[in-house]
Amino acid sequence: MFRFLRRFLKVEEDEQARLQDRFQHFRHLLEANNQALEIMADMEEKLSGDFLFDTGYLYNQSRNLGEQVSRMAAELNGLTGNQYPELPRICQKLLEEMQQELAKVPGIPETPYVLPLAALHRDLAPAVGSKMANLGEIRRHLGFTVPEGFATTAAAYKHFMEASDLSQVLKDRLAQAPLKDLESLEAASREVQALVRQAPLPPDLEDALQKAAGMLPGSWVAVRSSAVGEDTDFSFAGQFATLLNVDVARLPEHYKEIVASKFTARAIFYWKYQGFSIEELPMAVGCLAMIPSRASGVMFSTDPHDPEAGNIMITAVWGLGKYVVDGRVSPDIFVVSRDNGHPVKERRVAAKSKALACRPEGETVEIDVPPDRVQTPALTDAQVQALAEAALALEKHFKGPQDVEWAVDEAGRIVILQSRPLRVSAPLAAPRERYEPSAPPLLTYGIRAVGGAAAGRVHLFSHDQEVANIPPGAVVVARQPSARLVLVMDRISAIITEVGSPTDHMTILAREFRIPTLVEVGGATKVLHPGQLVTVDADEARVYPGLVAELLRRQPKTDEELHRAPVFQKLKRILKLAAPLNLLDPESPDFMAGNCRTFHDITRFCHEKAMDAMFFPDIDRALKSDAVTRLKTDLPLNLFILDLGGGLRVSGKPQVEEEDVICRPFRALLRGFHHPQVRWAGMVAPDLKGFISVWANTMYDLGKAERGLGGKSFAIITHNYLNFNSRLGYHFGLVDAYISEERNDNYISFQFKGGAANITRRERRAKMLLEILDDLGFKAQAKGDLVQGRLVKYSLMETEETMELVGLLIAFVRQLDLALASDAVAERCIRAFKKEDYGLACLRPEG
Amino acid sequence: MPERILVVDDEPNMLRLLKTILSDQTGYDVVTTNNPLEVSKLLQEDRFDLVISDLKMPLVDGIDLIGIIKKIDPGIPIIIITAYGTIETAEEAVQKGAYDFITKPFRKEAILLTIRRALEWKRMQGELAALKKQ
Repeated sequence: MFRFLRRFLKVEEDEQARLQDRFQHFRHLLEANNQALEIMADMEEKLSGDFLFDTGYLYNQSRNLGEQVSRMAAELNGLTGNQYPELPRICQKLLEEMQQELAKVPGIPETPYVLPLAALHRDLAPAVGSKMANLGEIRRHLGFTVPEGFATTAAAYKHFMEASDLSQVLKDRLAQAPLKDLESLEAASREVQALVRQAPLPPDLEDALQKAAGMLPGSWVAVRSSAVGEDTDFSFAGQFATLLNVDVARLPEHYKEIVASKFTARAIFYWKYQGFSIEELPMAVGCLAMIPSRASGVMFSTDPHDPEAGNIMITAVWGLGKYVVDGRVSPDIFVVSRDNGHPVKERRVAAKSKALACRPEGETVEIDVPPDRVQTPALTDAQVQALAEAALALEKHFKGPQDVEWAVDEAGRIVILQSRPLRVSAPLAAPRERYEPSAPPLLTYGIRAVGGAAAGRVHLFSHDQEVANIPPGAVVVARQPSARLVLVMDRISAIITEVGSPTDHMTILAREFRIPTLVEVGGATKVLHPGQLVTVDADEARVYPGLVAELLRRQPKTDEELHRAPVFQKLKRILKLAAPLNLLDPESPDFMAGNCRTFHDITRFCHEKAMDAMFFPDIDRALKSDAVTRLKTDLPLNLFILDLGGGLRVSGKPQVEEEDVICRPFRALLRGFHHPQVRWAGMVAPDLKGFISVWANTMYDLGKAERGLGGKSFAIITHNYLNFNSRLGYHFGLVDAYISEERNDNYISFQFKGGAANITRRERRAKMLLEILDDLGFKAQAKGDLVQGRLVKYSLMETEETMELVGLLIAFVRQLDLALASDAVAERCIRAFKKEDYGLACLRPEG
Repeated sequence: MPERILVVDDEPNMLRLLKTILSDQTGYDVVTTNNPLEVSKLLQEDRFDLVISDLKMPLVDGIDLIGIIKKIDPGIPIIIITAYGTIETAEEAVQKGAYDFITKPFRKEAILLTIRRALEWKRMQGELAALKKQ
């Protein structure tokens, strides 16, 4: 007997506990959703180029994002009794892909060990390094004279390291090397370099080198490093060796010398702690016929310290160019105009008493410059002109200022030895001054969600419209953010929404497309008119009439160099796995767990399905809980409450007062019910003919309903959450809401159905509700007499106000179906509600 | 003569990004190294007006480096770069004599401003010392 009772009691206890458990899942899911959206927004913000970050950041954020999204999937399954078993698998798969992306280093392309210069072009940089790839490009596309020669590839380096077992030996040595100070580090560097020099070249590689060397015209060559990534990924790596005027017959030896030079103290330090990998900084080598130059030097296609001056800078010395690079000799300096004809603006001829020359028996030697040439310019005017033209041609071809090494051979011909991007410093822009407009702004508030400025014609967008109809270049103005806008984000100019946040779905997508976006611009849909030309300054949260060229010009140019950095590229690839949103429309049949392809999809899916799951609790079971309490109220409602924690000021009482309710959404709803104009009883429209009989009919129906559905209203609450079920007569009203300081969590789901009138009138009421809900900002739809709507992500205050209006609306339309004799009456009711006239005088005939 | 900045970080990515923005947006001369063991050699061989260093590095961390740098040149300001969540250590760094610290990821403007302020501080220290001598 006791056992039976205990079991019986347990069921009741469990009912409250079960709902509390569900609510906990829901709460945790909302938390994880916010975290995940914030992490994604944060990562996208880093792509703007305004931030500096490292791979540590990428690892941390990717891990955090994976954790939060996996948590959402787990909580949703906890909430729904494991309805989406595929979600954890999808999360895991995405996580693994992300991990792979994080750890990935660019592989070494499979190419022959040796490639002739004639076969090289820019796209071969991953195989032969950018130095040699660019030289090949110059030879192929610009027609300048370059030395004859070839490159040994990264594949050759890999083959050398693997076949000689150096790769393993180096790994072991680095692991054992006792590094404690610079001396021990340099000792380790020397030791590793010696190991490389001693290792035998694989015969096939040696053979390829010899064959290629045999094709060169002379017997003296310059051998230079062209490491893959030395300019970009490993800018710390510093200068590697260059061997000038060495015997081509001993090329294998020279080759190893260059490879050995890769293992500087800095490189040793790096690999000691990162682990040595062949793929990192593979050493390609250039082997070029030696140019015994008469004069040589370096030129910049733009003055790097004063890019606006329109100058080309050329420095020149007698003999080999190494003395310019080393600073051993003060060179002649020619400042040449970039304008046509290239007049020489400035000519500073230095005393060049020394020069570096090729020794006939190999290598180089410092020589004294004959006295009559010391003060003579190392270049003729014609050569200066030709060099200036070459500099501009190279700049044009490589799409940016160039740093060019050149030589003049003994025949007086100009030979290009190397061309690489020149870093040009532009002084930091002064802090932005606020634009002083000639016309006052139309709007002066809002939150910058994505920065920038853009202009276009206003297109008012409401959620039921087709996005495809949005014209190109439009400034889209909407009540609420809509992720569906992603479909046109490649062609619209700017977005303005009246609500929204920098971390909502739409903003995350807009950031990806870099569309200036302002959210929280209350009244935007009223102030701005369709077709009006406006300029949106998202940075300052202002919208101006017309086209403000000054603001548009001020757009910061994207920092190409920063965006090329490997860590940016990695972030971009990781965001590709995270940020795109494929599940755009919850109503679509494709809105399924199996269609989640990104972390963003999973967050969207879980959030939506969690709200759905909370919407229909098992009321009949919940009502059986011991903790159910009755609300004492003067409203004609038979109202019961189950507090899951924090919703009531008191506990354990069979009856509570309205003041005891501290549940935010419930208090708001009750405020709506208590609106002074709401009539809960009595004759709704006494002078409407025949209405009394209808009203009486309702009363009869109500009585009938008491027997079946119970006529009860039931609220499941916490401090921030409400699930309100109203079964009044034949009406089913359902409100599920969450209201808190965290805007992303806030929502109201609403459903209304049924009634005592005939279907035409009930449908009329449904249409009326649809229009009012729409006006309140809900995404709503009606089917027959059923109306459903959901409002999400409004601020605490806005959601609370809307909740109050929902209470009012429920009371307002409660029995209107009976009175909606015609569309005209329905129309009057809508107008009355919008005009805040809730007294139902609208039911009286007009006139 | 442009002011010279030495940047020390074992992460090549951060070095590259710092070098890129400093060369693009300022006239400073920037030398980078991933190897903290090299710092004293670099400081002895050359004049530097400012050192920017990561806090967590193998063998020699930022805190150790402050002592090493101060021994060579007590007047050189040091900016410490620290990862989010290591604020306490960063504060320790300031107690040990670092000029300031900055938490990564950081805005470009934030590091540029910190650098400007640090160099300004150094100039003022120099002027102060000169006045005292008079």
